[in-house]
Amino acid sequence: MADSGSITESFFKGSSGRNTRGLLRLTILSLIAAAAISSRLFSVIRFESIIHEFDPWFNFRATKYLVQHGFYDFWDWFDDRTWHPLGRVTGGTLYPGLMVTSGAIYHALRALTIPVDIRNICVLLAPGFSGLTAYATYLFTNEMSTSPSAGLLAAAFMGIAPGYISRSVAGSYDNEAIAIFLLVFTFFLWIKALKLGSAFWGALCALFYGYMVSAWGGYVFITNLIPLHVFVLVCMGRFSPRVYVSYCTWYALGTLASMQIPFVGFLPIRSSEHMSALGVFGLLQLVGFVEFVRAGVPSKQFATLLRGFVLVVFAIAFGGLVLLTVSGVIAPWTGRFYSLWDTGYAKIHIPIIASVSEHQPTAWPAFFFDLNMLIWLFPAGVYLCFQKLADEQVFVVVYAILASYFSGVMVRLMLTLTPIVCVSAALALSSLLDTYLTIKSPTEPTDSSADAVNGTTASSKKAEKAAKQDGLRSLSKPLVGIYTTFSKTSVVSALTAYLLIFVLHCTWVTSNAYSSPSVVLASRMPDGSQHIIDDYREAYQWLRQNTPENAKIMSWWDYGYQIGGMADRPTLVDNNTWNNTHIATVGKAMSSREEVSYPIMRQHEVDYVLVVFGGLLGYSGDDINKFLWMVRIAEGIWPDEVKERDFFTDRGEYRVDEGATETMKNSLMYKMSYYNYGALFPPGQAQDRVRGVRMPEKGPELNTVEEAFTSENWIIRIYKVKDLDNVGRDHASASSFAKGNKKKKTTKRRGPKVLRVE
Amino acid sequence: MRWLLSFLLLGLLSVVQAVSSSGNKLLVVLEDLAEKSKYSKYIADLEGRGFSINYESPKSDKVALFELGERAYDHVLLLPTKAKGLGPALTPKLLLDFINAGGNILLTLSSSNPTPTSLVSLLLELDIHLPTDRNALVVDHFNYDTLSAAEKHDVVLVPRPDAIRPDVKNFFRGDGKGGDVIAFPRGVPQELGNTSPLLTPILRAPRTAYSYNPKDEGEAAEDPFGAGPQLSLITTMQARNSARFTVIGSAELLEDAWFDAKVKRSVGLGGVGTDAKSVKTANQAFAAEVTGWTFNEIGVLKVGKIEHYLNEAGVKSNITNPKIYRVKNDVTYEIEISEYSWDKWVPFTPQAGDVVQLEFSMLSPFHRLPLTPTTTTKNSTIYTTSFRLPDQHGIFNFKVNHKRPFLSNLEEKNTVTVRHFAHDEWPRSWVISGAWPWIAGIGATITGWVAFVALWLWSKPVPLKLTTSGKKIQ
Repeated sequence: MADSGSITESFFKGSSGRNTRGLLRLTILSLIAAAAISSRLFSVIRFESIIHEFDPWFNFRATKYLVQHGFYDFWDWFDDRTWHPLGRVTGGTLYPGLMVTSGAIYHALRALTIPVDIRNICVLLAPGFSGLTAYATYLFTNEMSTSPSAGLLAAAFMGIAPGYISRSVAGSYDNEAIAIFLLVFTFFLWIKALKLGSAFWGALCALFYGYMVSAWGGYVFITNLIPLHVFVLVCMGRFSPRVYVSYCTWYALGTLASMQIPFVGFLPIRSSEHMSALGVFGLLQLVGFVEFVRAGVPSKQFATLLRGFVLVVFAIAFGGLVLLTVSGVIAPWTGRFYSLWDTGYAKIHIPIIASVSEHQPTAWPAFFFDLNMLIWLFPAGVYLCFQKLADEQVFVVVYAILASYFSGVMVRLMLTLTPIVCVSAALALSSLLDTYLTIKSPTEPTDSSADAVNGTTASSKKAEKAAKQDGLRSLSKPLVGIYTTFSKTSVVSALTAYLLIFVLHCTWVTSNAYSSPSVVLASRMPDGSQHIIDDYREAYQWLRQNTPENAKIMSWWDYGYQIGGMADRPTLVDNNTWNNTHIATVGKAMSSREEVSYPIMRQHEVDYVLVVFGGLLGYSGDDINKFLWMVRIAEGIWPDEVKERDFFTDRGEYRVDEGATETMKNSLMYKMSYYNYGALFPPGQAQDRVRGVRMPEKGPELNTVEEAFTSENWIIRIYKVKDLDNVGRDHASASSFAKGNKKKKTTKRRGPKVLRVE
Repeated sequence: MRWLLSFLLLGLLSVVQAVSSSGNKLLVVLEDLAEKSKYSKYIADLEGRGFSINYESPKSDKVALFELGERAYDHVLLLPTKAKGLGPALTPKLLLDFINAGGNILLTLSSSNPTPTSLVSLLLELDIHLPTDRNALVVDHFNYDTLSAAEKHDVVLVPRPDAIRPDVKNFFRGDGKGGDVIAFPRGVPQELGNTSPLLTPILRAPRTAYSYNPKDEGEAAEDPFGAGPQLSLITTMQARNSARFTVIGSAELLEDAWFDAKVKRSVGLGGVGTDAKSVKTANQAFAAEVTGWTFNEIGVLKVGKIEHYLNEAGVKSNITNPKIYRVKNDVTYEIEISEYSWDKWVPFTPQAGDVVQLEFSMLSPFHRLPLTPTTTTKNSTIYTTSFRLPDQHGIFNFKVNHKRPFLSNLEEKNTVTVRHFAHDEWPRSWVISGAWPWIAGIGATITGWVAFVALWLWSKPVPLKLTTSGKKIQ
């Protein structure tokens, strides 16, 4: 016993103790990284190594292009297989960081003679980077707290928090996969630079900021958060050469780095979103100048004069900014930005943004779903930051406030909130654990003066001071309650239980909510076995094998990336929604009568039209449910031709059954969805299982397109656009003739005869 | 061995030389074979031009337009039958399928035999309308043949037709001198719909002609089915796939009797033809032209090779038909067009006043340029144009869309991608004079910084002194 005690003593004390702790820390971090990676592999194990969802398919396709053609071709890539016939300057309109990262990994592995399929690299990139994110969080938190446990806790939280897992499971090959790591690591470097006032760390921060810019459009968050932090520090009167050096280094180098990305280009000096960084940069120069002069000139009046000068300069700068914005030199705020402040803005002005589900305001349960107990530890952590409000704690506070606002506005921004929640929760929890896990009770309880001399823990001191000020009897002897074994065990065991429940919750959420590839739908058979619904891939495979290589596919933009990636066919519109008019054109073709749609489709050289229909299976994410967005987007461009009102009944209902409006029934989308649907059922029994209504007995008829393919569960229906009639009839009469109907002879002529002229 | 084979092929070629550009299998549908003798001269003409002819009666079991899903014949000639229907092998749908499959149909009507219902409904689909009265025929009291129809006025004499527009090639003019007379005996007039751009009349009725039902007097004359040039006597429909369909209102026109007949015209409006002599009809030559056109012997265009290439600063690129260009490239487009004339391909020249045009389009044309003939080979003309690509990237089509009456449709689309400037294709900054101030600024900053560092490094630090008040001074 004594031996073992002395052994542990030798392990945990002195220099070897430091080594042991370092080794332990390393082991724990590796375990955390392993846990983070393995908890993201559900989808690979359940399904297969497949790219998920929509955007990842584009990233995957771009990565393949990069690997195949090399970097320079990728840089100048003009993609003629999307946005037909406009094409897309893809090389200049994407954030290349993700593709370049996986390309570099691919080439590095090949150089090491480990040939790995690029797909596997893409699938596993996000889990791999989640390990790094955990480590970055550890470093970041260590800058915030002296407690060694805070960093490890934060790393563990970051590793398994569902809010981050939701965008980084295996196969979710999206920009966020590496961007969150870069975000946290840039913040870590920023804190480091600020603390040391070091140009070196500032330059490193700028470097990673540049990497972040190349990887994700969310870099604007950093671009605004760091200046805000500095601004708050300056307002708090904490201007110091450290702030000046670190910020100026970061801003100058970071801006130069960000301007190297073609998609960003001159935005950092031309757009309003980046103006705060520039403004704070200017402010720092002024403040630095004032400080410099003040140090030299003692006169108080002169200082007031200088303050006046600063104000004037600020006013002039602000006026100049407004003037430049109005005159159009600086781009005004974009619509996406406005929708951050007014959640109803997008729905009215930019339906295309509002139509994306991840741009919707967050529902309250989502916070608990994604962050579980962290969300209630989060305020406690922020509060603890106020207790020791150094420069870096100010950062946490600023970050927390900003991120919690934005995450409430847009579901997607939950992602930027997650790191700071993990950090603050870890701060709170580690402070709790440090307080309650310390085996020794403080030696001196009663006398407050002795207390100060002996120096107990900071918290007990504070508590006592508070008690003194409050003068409450219950607080006058706080140590009694806290330091009993009972309270320790109860609190610690409760926390342990919470932590375990948290792990359970995270695993459950990851496994059930976030690990579906959404390309493949899983359902349960009555006997509990898994049944895979693979209609998407069936249809894309059909396209790949049965259509000419240049057959243009028209579909709603949601499926553009998947068609490009899986079916390898040109599409009219895709998830890169850069051209609203083109999307509206597709919306108009879908929501108009056949006679209107057909010329549009011919003009765009459409060969096949793809619709998603969930009526048979009860798959609610189908095109009929998205249809109103198509109508709204089309109405935004052609308010006279497409009217949302016409798709609602007189009583304001959106119906697809017998009571549907004529406009609805005649729209191409409706016809393509329900064409021949009644043939699956006994006459008059056709049922739409998504809308839960009985369909009219007589289904719609199609003239200008013909059914080419319908997948097993009818989720995907593909129609071929007919050519013009060979003998010059319109399609309706041509198909009526083909059915054997005789054309009515025009026996009675009305009005004067119209003569034919050659 | 090889040259023997090629000789053999050459020999075969010469055998099938004098024939339509789209094959020589012709099906003639007529009531019974005995009727053949009525058209012996016409048929001899056809055989002389290299057609191999099958004769079938619509009642026969063997008559079939398709065999194993493929066209069994290249052309079909429908002569009038007495039957009310044409049987299951010649339904309007099958006939339409035959046209859609690229077959040509020459349909003859006759006022003595009512048109079968299946043909009426086929014509209706094509927007060609026949008189509602079954027995209606076209009569003209001013342009009739005094020798054969002095009473009934139902043999209408028509001159060779003029071109429907000056810029349209006229294949039915004969030697072009005029003076020929076509006898159009007892024909069924057609009226053409206004909407279909595919319909073109070859022969229209004279101004004074009208549709008339001899069995039902009085009423029809009050409100005729049609009158004047609105009545088409011979109508063509060229489908989008260039399959040709011709309606000859009078089958009698093709009969031997009218090939040889002499006619003498009546006195027309304004006293035209008061001193008319009896002349031989031009029916035989005219029938050959109409049939030749229908069966793809004349007016058929063919595109040889299409080439487009980069032609920067007058230097022709060696790569022809590249898939991708850059905006503002100079390119040249060449297209080789031949025209089939009875038995050979000849260089194609558009009618005076007409040009072949090239469109460079994405959604709508960015350029529409006339193509100029540059080279003429033995049997084709090469049309060329050079232009600068628009400053707009996208997926563009070189499009030649030449659709003229009586000429087969040319619709050639070559898709190319026009990309943006690559990052290293812009002029370098020092070439742009506007960039010089900025370059000078960079230079000034660097020099200033180096000078400052040098000054800083080489200046000796001044020892700090403290004033009495404790302030630092230097």
